[in-house]
Amino acid sequence: MHYFLYTVFFSVFAWLMLTVHGRRRVLAVTLAGVIVVALVVTPPQAQAQGGIVQAIQAVLKVLNTLILPVVNSIHGTRSANSTFYQTTVWPVQSISQANAQVLQMMGQYGNLMSRILGSNLRSATLPAPQSMETLLRDHQVNNFGGLTQSFNSTYRTIPTPTDASQADRDMADFDDALTLDSLKTLKASDSATDLELQAANSIESAASQAAAGSTPFLTATATTSSIRSQALTQKMLAAELRQEAARIAHQNGLRKRGAMFTTQLRGTIMNLTKHN
Amino acid sequence: MTNVAEALKQIKSWMWSRRLRFTLLISVLVLTAPWPASGQADGPCCAILVAGLSSIANSLQSIAHSLSAILGVDQGMLRFEQTVVWPTSAITQAQGLVGAQQGIFTRIQALTHIPVNSATQPNPQQLEINLLSGNPSMIGQTSASYTALYGPVPPTTDASPQVRDLVDMTDAAAQDAMKRAIQIDALSDLELQAAGQINQSIQTAAPGSAPIIEAQADAWLVRANAYTQAATADLMRLRAIDLANSSADIKMGATNTTNLRQQLMNLLQHN
Repeated sequence: MHYFLYTVFFSVFAWLMLTVHGRRRVLAVTLAGVIVVALVVTPPQAQAQGGIVQAIQAVLKVLNTLILPVVNSIHGTRSANSTFYQTTVWPVQSISQANAQVLQMMGQYGNLMSRILGSNLRSATLPAPQSMETLLRDHQVNNFGGLTQSFNSTYRTIPTPTDASQADRDMADFDDALTLDSLKTLKASDSATDLELQAANSIESAASQAAAGSTPFLTATATTSSIRSQALTQKMLAAELRQEAARIAHQNGLRKRGAMFTTQLRGTIMNLTKHN
Repeated sequence: MTNVAEALKQIKSWMWSRRLRFTLLISVLVLTAPWPASGQADGPCCAILVAGLSSIANSLQSIAHSLSAILGVDQGMLRFEQTVVWPTSAITQAQGLVGAQQGIFTRIQALTHIPVNSATQPNPQQLEINLLSGNPSMIGQTSASYTALYGPVPPTTDASPQVRDLVDMTDAAAQDAMKRAIQIDALSDLELQAAGQINQSIQTAAPGSAPIIEAQADAWLVRANAYTQAATADLMRLRAIDLANSSADIKMGATNTTNLRQQLMNLLQHN
């Protein structure tokens, strides 16, 4: 655009210079041309470039005083964090040591405790009690019928109606029933205890190979095992409660019947006295 | 040819006559023509620019070094976490173990539901069914079944107030314990159910969410301990009542002996 304008101007100027007549006119055209060139055609003078230097300095200032220290600080913090995690929170050596300790303790206590728990406790000497004792301690839940039979062999069945009053027969039957209930519950509990020990062993075994991040799974499942263990303990406590309640109910029943018999005896004696 | 030479001669003559004007034109052209701008490579401004850009490049290099170091630390940390803290294989293995535990728990739960009823007579059977029901809504029927089996408190004609109190208190303790046993059975069933649910959720948990489930399991364990304590408390109450009965027997025996002695003395005095 600028070149085009200049070409037009110069053509007009040259034509005027070469065609006008008289020195004064030439001088006037020359002055006019110089003024037009100076004011219109000549491009404006370029600005000085000192602003760029200032801008570069500003950028450098930002980079050196703001960004670089922050980046260095982040690096320092992350390095410290990494070192902290690797040497204080999760040192590989400690993790390996803990895994090894689990293994070592499994070896140290596992068999020993298993042997202690599995030692033979049987003490009966006569055939019927021996059979019952075997059934009581076999941790099986599929032979309750055999247990009842063995119990009846050892403790005998309830008296026949000709041998005892119905109240006595009922109480004896309920005592026997709760005894058998408890013994059956204990067989189931023994079996559950075996499973709990199996669960504990597998959790401990897994702990010997666990990483720091996988242990929450193990502790959580161990806690649920504890809840189950508590539930089973409660089942046993409930059986014991029933048993103890039946025992004092039995004593109380005898007390009630004692009161009744005393009244009956008193009445009989009074009748006898009256007759005499 | 002659014409061209004549024309050139005329132009030369015309230009010569205007030589001053041509001189002026050429001067104006030289002075005002928009010559192409010269490059600034050799200027002082460019040297400043180069120096500034070099400084910026140096700073950026320093920053890049720092960022590279940060990346190195992050990569190292990631590797450490993936291989030492949370290795996928160990997590999968732990989840597998939880699944195996679920199988054991299912077997335990089945064991607790094996029927253990053993009574043979109608009244004991009724009370036994009630006591082993594990159904809290049947607690209301416990007293009736209990009284049908063990009889009611003796009437005032049959026993002294002291004996009736003793008998009633003992019946109450026995029935309370039986009712508590029903409650505890029901609660333990629910605990087993909840434990199963919690264990299942652990199987699908992430390492970050497992502690939350663990906290819930811990809360359930605390609750279970509380129920166990409640059952133990009732057992202690039963034994306390039993002990109190033994003591009451001695006390009543002593009173009866004193009364008997008094009556014998009266009888001897009359004779």
